[in-house]
Amino acid sequence: MIKLIGQRAIASLLSLLGLMVLVFFLSRLTGDPAVLFLPIDATEAMKANFRALHGLDAPLFEQFGRYVWDLLQFDFGQSLRKARPAIDVVMEAYAWTLPLALITLSLVVVAAIVLGSLAAFKIGGFFDRMVSIISLIGASAPDFWVAIVAIVVFSINLGWLPTSGVGTPLHWVLPIAVLFIRPFGLIVQVVRGSMLSALSAAYVKTARAKGVKNLPIIFVHTLRNAMLPVITVIGDQAAAMLNGAVIVETIFGFPGIGKLMIDSILQRDFNVVLAAIMVTAVAIFIMNMLIDIAYGLLDPRIRH
Amino acid sequence: MSDLSLTKPNNPATQRGFTIFLAMLWRDKLAFISALVLVLVVLCALVGPALLGDLATNQNLRGRNSPPFDMTRGWAFFLGGDSLGRPMLARLIVAARSTMMVAAGAVATALIVGATLGLVAGYMGKNISQAIMRLADVIMSFPSLLLAVVVLYVLGPSIPNMILVLAITRIPIYLRTTRAEVLEVRERMFVQAAVVMGASHGRIIVRHVLPVVAPTLVTIATLDFAFVMLAESSLSFLGIGIQPPDITWGLMVSQGRPYLTTAWWLALWPGVCIVITTLALNLLSNWMRIALDPAQRWRLEARSTTDV
Amino acid sequence: MTIKHILIGALLASTSMGPALAQDNTDITVVLSEELDLVEPCMATRSNIGRVIMQNISETLTELDVRGNKGLMPRLADSWEDKGDGTWQFKLHPGVTFSDGSALDANDVKHSFDRVFSDQLTCESARYFADTELTFTVVDDTTIDVKAEPAQPILPLLMSLVTIVPSETPMEFVRDPIGTGPYVMSEWTAGQQIVLERRDDYWGDQPAVAKATYLFRSEPAVRAGMVAAGEADIAPQITEDVADNRDTDFSYPNSETVYIRIDQTVEPMGDLRVRQALNAAIEREAFIGTVLADGTELATAIVPPTTLGWNADLVPPAYDPDHARELLAAAEADGVNIKAPVEVIARTENFPHVTEVGEALVQMLNEVGFNASLRMVEVAEHEQYYSKPYPDGRPAQVVVAQHDNSRGDPVFSAYFKYHSNGTQSGVNDPKVDTLIEQATATTGDERAALWSELFAYVQNDIVADALLFHMVGHSRVGARLDFTPTIATNQQLQLSEINFK
Repeated sequence: MIKLIGQRAIASLLSLLGLMVLVFFLSRLTGDPAVLFLPIDATEAMKANFRALHGLDAPLFEQFGRYVWDLLQFDFGQSLRKARPAIDVVMEAYAWTLPLALITLSLVVVAAIVLGSLAAFKIGGFFDRMVSIISLIGASAPDFWVAIVAIVVFSINLGWLPTSGVGTPLHWVLPIAVLFIRPFGLIVQVVRGSMLSALSAAYVKTARAKGVKNLPIIFVHTLRNAMLPVITVIGDQAAAMLNGAVIVETIFGFPGIGKLMIDSILQRDFNVVLAAIMVTAVAIFIMNMLIDIAYGLLDPRIRH
Repeated sequence: MSDLSLTKPNNPATQRGFTIFLAMLWRDKLAFISALVLVLVVLCALVGPALLGDLATNQNLRGRNSPPFDMTRGWAFFLGGDSLGRPMLARLIVAARSTMMVAAGAVATALIVGATLGLVAGYMGKNISQAIMRLADVIMSFPSLLLAVVVLYVLGPSIPNMILVLAITRIPIYLRTTRAEVLEVRERMFVQAAVVMGASHGRIIVRHVLPVVAPTLVTIATLDFAFVMLAESSLSFLGIGIQPPDITWGLMVSQGRPYLTTAWWLALWPGVCIVITTLALNLLSNWMRIALDPAQRWRLEARSTTDV
Repeated sequence: MTIKHILIGALLASTSMGPALAQDNTDITVVLSEELDLVEPCMATRSNIGRVIMQNISETLTELDVRGNKGLMPRLADSWEDKGDGTWQFKLHPGVTFSDGSALDANDVKHSFDRVFSDQLTCESARYFADTELTFTVVDDTTIDVKAEPAQPILPLLMSLVTIVPSETPMEFVRDPIGTGPYVMSEWTAGQQIVLERRDDYWGDQPAVAKATYLFRSEPAVRAGMVAAGEADIAPQITEDVADNRDTDFSYPNSETVYIRIDQTVEPMGDLRVRQALNAAIEREAFIGTVLADGTELATAIVPPTTLGWNADLVPPAYDPDHARELLAAAEADGVNIKAPVEVIARTENFPHVTEVGEALVQMLNEVGFNASLRMVEVAEHEQYYSKPYPDGRPAQVVVAQHDNSRGDPVFSAYFKYHSNGTQSGVNDPKVDTLIEQATATTGDERAALWSELFAYVQNDIVADALLFHMVGHSRVGARLDFTPTIATNQQLQLSEINFK
C-alpha cells in the first residue's frame, strides 16, 4: 500500500508539473495584463513600467524559469492586481470554498444514496417516478435562476434568511441549498441505475426468490456492489466544487475560489490563476487517489 | 406509429422486432411521451432555422418584452416577445439546432473519447493506465473557464470551438467511470472464463465489458446534456461563449437574466426547454435500460399482460 | 404568474422593512458592484476604488463641483495662483492632520506626486500628466510651487485627481491608506467588507455618518434587494430593470457616453458618405425607454453636457434610412465597396443591455445596405480592438464603447479619441490635431470656444464617429437616508454628503 501511494505521488507530481507548464504558457497566450490593470488611456510608458515591475517584459522562457525557481522556494509570486502574495489570496478563498464544498457534498451524498436506492427498490413505482422527475428538474434548472428566485422569495419576500454574504450560519443556508440541487440530481440517478443493475444480479434474485426475510441485509450488500460508479461520479462532482461554484459565489457574494478564479482569468492575473489551479489540483489528485483506494476496499478483487 | 412500423414490410422479422419495441414503449407512457418530445426537438433542429429563421431575427424595439399567452400578434408570440421584440416561440424553435449541435456534439465526443481511454486504461498494463489516469487528473484540474478563454483567443469563437471546450472538460468523468467498471468486470467469473477460453480482447470488451458499462455511461450522458447546455449558458454570460447572432437555449437563458424580475418569460421558456429535453432524454434512457436488459424486460412485458 | 406575486410581495416588503434600523443609528452600509483589489490612494481615480476612498480617506488639493455649478473648489489647497511661465503656486490649508497624527505640509504634496510618477509602482493617475513634466518647489510648510513643462493651463483642475499621502508613505502599494479625509479605514477583509470610521480630529466639518461598511455583490437584483430587505442603505449602480421602487430609486445622468468608434483606415469606412450613412441609419430614439433607460439623452459630443465647451448648437444626426441608402449608392457609384464586411464589436457587460444594443445596431445598419455583423467580446479582447495598435489585416471594424468623463474638461477625452496620435482614435486630420493642441494650451473662454469648434468639426464636417447616448445611472437609497445620487456618484461617493432624515 505504502509503495503504491509512493508511486502514485511521484506520478501525480509529474502531472502537476505538466499542468503548471500547460497553464503557464496557455494563459500567457490570452493577452496583456497591463492593458487591463491600467486605464484605457494609460501611456505606453506606464504599460511598459507595469510589465517591467512584474517581469512580464522578459522572454517567455526566462519568465518561466524564474517562476519555477521561485516556486522551488514555495513562492507563488505576487498577484498582479492585488499587490499581495498570490498564494495568500488563494488560501483565503479556499478557507471559504472548502467548508462549503464539504458540507454540501456530505448532504448530497447522504440524500442521494438514500433516495436513489429507495427509488431503485421498486422501479417504475410512484416514489421512483417522483424522485427521478424532481431531481432531474433540479439538475437541469439554470442555477442563477434558482439562486435569484430563492433570494427574492426567502430573503426579500419572506424575510427568513439574509440575502447574501457570510457571517452567520444562516448566511450559508441558501448557497448550500442552491449548490445542492445539481449534484444531487446527477448522483441520485447514478445510484438508482447502479442499484437497478446490482439488484438484478443472479444472487440477489435467488435470495429474493427464496424469500429471504432479511431484505435489508441484501440491500446493504447490493449497495456496496453498486457503489463503484457512484463514488466515481461523486469524485467528479467534488472536483467541480473544489474548482468553486462561480455562479453561486458571485450571486451570494461568497468569497470563494470560484469567484476568485473567474475574476483572475478575466483580468489575466496569471500568478493567482496558477496558484489557484495548483492548489485545486493537489486537492483533486489526493481525492482521486482516495477514490482509487476506495475501489479496492469496496471490491477486494480490484488490485492494481 | 403505424406508419413507422409499415416502412419496412419486406422484412417480417425486423418488423416484428420493431413492433414489439414500440409496444414496449407504449407500455411506459412517460417514456412514450419522452420519445415524442425528442422527435419534436430533433424536427425543430432540422427544419426550424430554414422555416422560421427570418421571423426569429426580425426585431421590433418598441414591441419588446410583450407578455406571453397573447394571441393578437400571431402564434409566434404565444410565448411572448424577447427584449428586442422578436417572437420567443420562433426563437426557441430556431435555437434548437445550435443547442442540440453543441450539447450532442460535446457529450458524444466526451463519451466516445472518455470511454475509449477508460477501456484502454482499465484493460492495458499498469504504465499506460497510470499515464492515462494522470492525464485525466490534469484535465479535471484545468478550469473550463480558462480553457474557454484560451480557445477563444487562439482559435476564435465559434460553435465547433465551443464543442471542443465543453467536450474536453467532460472527458474525465466518462474516462474514470469506464475504467472503474472495467476493473470490476474484468474480475468477474464469466469474463475470466472467456479469457481462459481464448476470447480476443476486442470480443471480451464488446460482449462482456461494454454491456455492463454502458448503462451508467448513458445515465451520466443524458444528465450531461443539461450540464453542457447550462455551462454554455454561463460561458456566454461571461462573454467567452456563444454570442449573438448565434442563438442557443443556454444563450437565451443568460440573456434573460437581467429581466428575471420584469419579464420572467425571457429566461423561463428556454430554461423549460432545457429541463424538458433533459427529462425526456433521461426517462427514455431509463426505459431503454430496462427494455434492452433481458433480466429486466419482464417489467415492461409483465405489465403488458395486465394492461391488455 | 407566481413571479409576479413574488415581486408584488418584494415591493411591499421593501416599503415596510425600511425603518427596521434604529433612527439614531448613524452607521450605514453601502453595497457596491465590484470588490476592491487595492485601497491605494494613488489609484483613487479608478472608479471602484474612488467610490470608497476618494475624499473619504484621501483628499485632493482641489475639488471639482459636479453637483452644483461652483466649478473648481478649494479642498486641501485654500487658494492657487498662476505665477506665469507655467508655474502655479498653491497655498495649503493650515492645521490639517493625517489620520496617523502627522501634520500636512508641502513636502507631503511633493512626495504624493513623486509616488505617482515613480517607476517603483504603477499609479494610474500618472496618465493625466502624460506629456507634462512637473517640478515641485517647496516654498514653506504651506506653500508649494508647481512648474509644468509645457505650461498646463488646467493644472489646478488636474490637482483634483491626485490624492495627498504623508511623506512617510513607502514607494509600494499600501494596504492601510493614510489620508487627511474625515474617515479612516478600520477594517479590510478581502472578499467581504471594508469598514470606514469617522475621525474625531478631522480638519473640516464633522460628517453625519459615523461608520460606513462597504459590501460587494455583483448581481444588481441582489444589491437592490439588500436595500429593500434593510441589509444595506445605499446601492449605487443598480440597473433600470431592478429599479422598480419610486420611493427609493434614483436615476441621474452618470457621465458615461456611448458611441461607435470608426476606424477610417479600412474600406468602406474611409469614405465620408459611408460614415454619414452609418449615422443616418441608426434610429437613436428607438433605444430610449426600450433597451436603454428613460432619461438617456442623445449625444452630440463624446463628453456630457456638464463639460467645458460643450456645444449647444449641435443636433444629433437625424434618422433617415432613405438618405442613408442614397449616400451608400453615391459612394458605390464612385467605386467604394460598400458591401465590404463591417464588424460591430461590443463588450459584454459594458453597460446594461449592451448585447441588445449591438444586435439592434447591426439590424439597422443592414437595413440600409451595410454588410454588418455583430461580435460580442470580453473585456481584454475588446481592448485589443479599441486601442492602438489595431490588428493587421482586419476587416472594417466599428467599436461600440462607453467613455466616462466627469472631470469637467474635454482634454481627458479629446486627445485620446480624436488626435491622430490618440490611442483610441480612428481619425487622422491635421485640423483636429491643431484644434486639440490649441485648446489644451489655452484657458477660459478661448478654451471653451476651441472645444466647441472641435466638437462641431468632428461631428458635422468629418463625421469621425457615431455618437449615440449620454447614459443614466440608477441608485437605490434606503428610506432613512437623506441623499440624492448625482453625476458624481459614478466616480466617488462622499460620505459627508449623506445625512439622516
